[in-house]
Amino acid sequence: MEFLNFLNQEPFRFLLAFGVVLFLTLNLAAILVMGERKVAGYIQLRYGPNRVGPRGLLQPLADIIKLFTKENISPGKADLWIFLGAPIAMFIPVAAVWLVIPFAPGAVVADINVAILFFVAVTSIGALGVIMAGYGSRSNFSLLGALRGAAQMISYEVPLILSLLGVVMLTGSLSLVDVVNAQGGGFWNWYVVLQFPMFIVFYISALAETKRVPFDLPEGESEIVGGYMIEYSGMTWGLIQAAEFAGMGLMSGISVTLFLGGWQPPLEFLDLGQFNWVWFGIKTALIMFTFQWIRWSLPRLRMDQLMDLGWKVMVPLTLVWLVITAAAMLVF
Amino acid sequence: MTIVFGFLAGMMLISALGVVLSRNVVHSALFMSGSFFAVAGFFVMLSAPALAAFQLLIYVGAVTVVILFGIMFTQQPQVRSFSTIVNKQVWAGLAVALGVGGFLSYILATEDWGATEAGQGTRDVAAFGEYLLGVGPGSEIFAMLFQLVAILLFVAVIAAIVISRRKDTDVESASDVREVGE
Repeated sequence: MEFLNFLNQEPFRFLLAFGVVLFLTLNLAAILVMGERKVAGYIQLRYGPNRVGPRGLLQPLADIIKLFTKENISPGKADLWIFLGAPIAMFIPVAAVWLVIPFAPGAVVADINVAILFFVAVTSIGALGVIMAGYGSRSNFSLLGALRGAAQMISYEVPLILSLLGVVMLTGSLSLVDVVNAQGGGFWNWYVVLQFPMFIVFYISALAETKRVPFDLPEGESEIVGGYMIEYSGMTWGLIQAAEFAGMGLMSGISVTLFLGGWQPPLEFLDLGQFNWVWFGIKTALIMFTFQWIRWSLPRLRMDQLMDLGWKVMVPLTLVWLVITAAAMLVF
Repeated sequence: MTIVFGFLAGMMLISALGVVLSRNVVHSALFMSGSFFAVAGFFVMLSAPALAAFQLLIYVGAVTVVILFGIMFTQQPQVRSFSTIVNKQVWAGLAVALGVGGFLSYILATEDWGATEAGQGTRDVAAFGEYLLGVGPGSEIFAMLFQLVAILLFVAVIAAIVISRRKDTDVESASDVREVGE
């Protein structure tokens, strides 16, 4: 294996890891779509997709083949560059943030010292993609969906960022690797214990940022028939879907990294060394399942309820908890 | 390094020209986000990843989005003709651009930069924060400016709430009248 050592050197290591992460993101999206349909099926007492392959497990493959062979239609009056650029502008930020998440000890593509800031900054670009999609389609429903989406994403960015600050204060670092290392030695050391209100706020904001039920007003099938993605078809639509589902996986991964110990095992004797990514995977999958569980259990909020929850409940709550955290750090 | 610099500079110039020359105001706003991206790239090259992240967060994620939001709420995006873009202020604009460019070039040429090179600075967030706020050795004027800007923003937010609330009371009184009428 000597000849493979060059892969550990800088440009090659980064390119290889980047390819792996991109592969992971796209596949995660495809598999989550199937997971979503399966979970929906079992929650509604039916089987979900069960025709393609054993127990319907090859459904993602069939979906992808269908999407790739479908024609890409764009409206005649669409602003073509913006229309086609929007899915890319939605997908790239989601894929880029995966680069800073530590999967196992030492297994992180880019260990930058401002990883949390990078996550916040890059996810905020996602709103641009939503607006581009809504404007580029030149359709009233699309524009309405985009306006709702942008308003929602800007509003919930505030509690999202504020809820991270408690963890940053406790760790004293903006690096996700440091955050995970600080949570070692058993599940009682995870930040979810000390920062439980912040975890709840982060979780709800993550639901809103990924535009999932109960915050799916930008999509709103029953009122604006799909929002900013009405006019998309084929692989452009597929890319938007991939961005949404990968974003859901990403938010789960980030909340696991920040609050649930990342790759740290729940008890110390369960340490798997380099294979600790199994723990990261299990925890992330559990959070993703709760996202889907909520989707098939709750109704959609109204716009004013959405704004009330964001600005009148979650922002004050995070501010109060920040002060409490600071005071506790000063005393202990 | 040179290739990356060339790419970023080209991206920035093309985006900036796009902002000015684009005939559609939404395209202008999107070109502006491209220009902001290039600035963030320069910050990364200068070993200031924190500043680059703030650039993305504030300018691309907030300013551009709010501008687009405002455009969509207030007006139908319309196509401008080139004669309104290249209007009579072209010479004044050129003079201002040349003046600012000349001033920056003068500083760049006359200042002694020592052994500073791109990518050689410290990536420490703590040091960056201290420089930004001006604490530690040196004057604390930047910390003062931060406080002033914070107060300014606070006043602006309250003013915005006051302005938008006035409509609310109008609506409420109107509905009161209707209830009385019924």
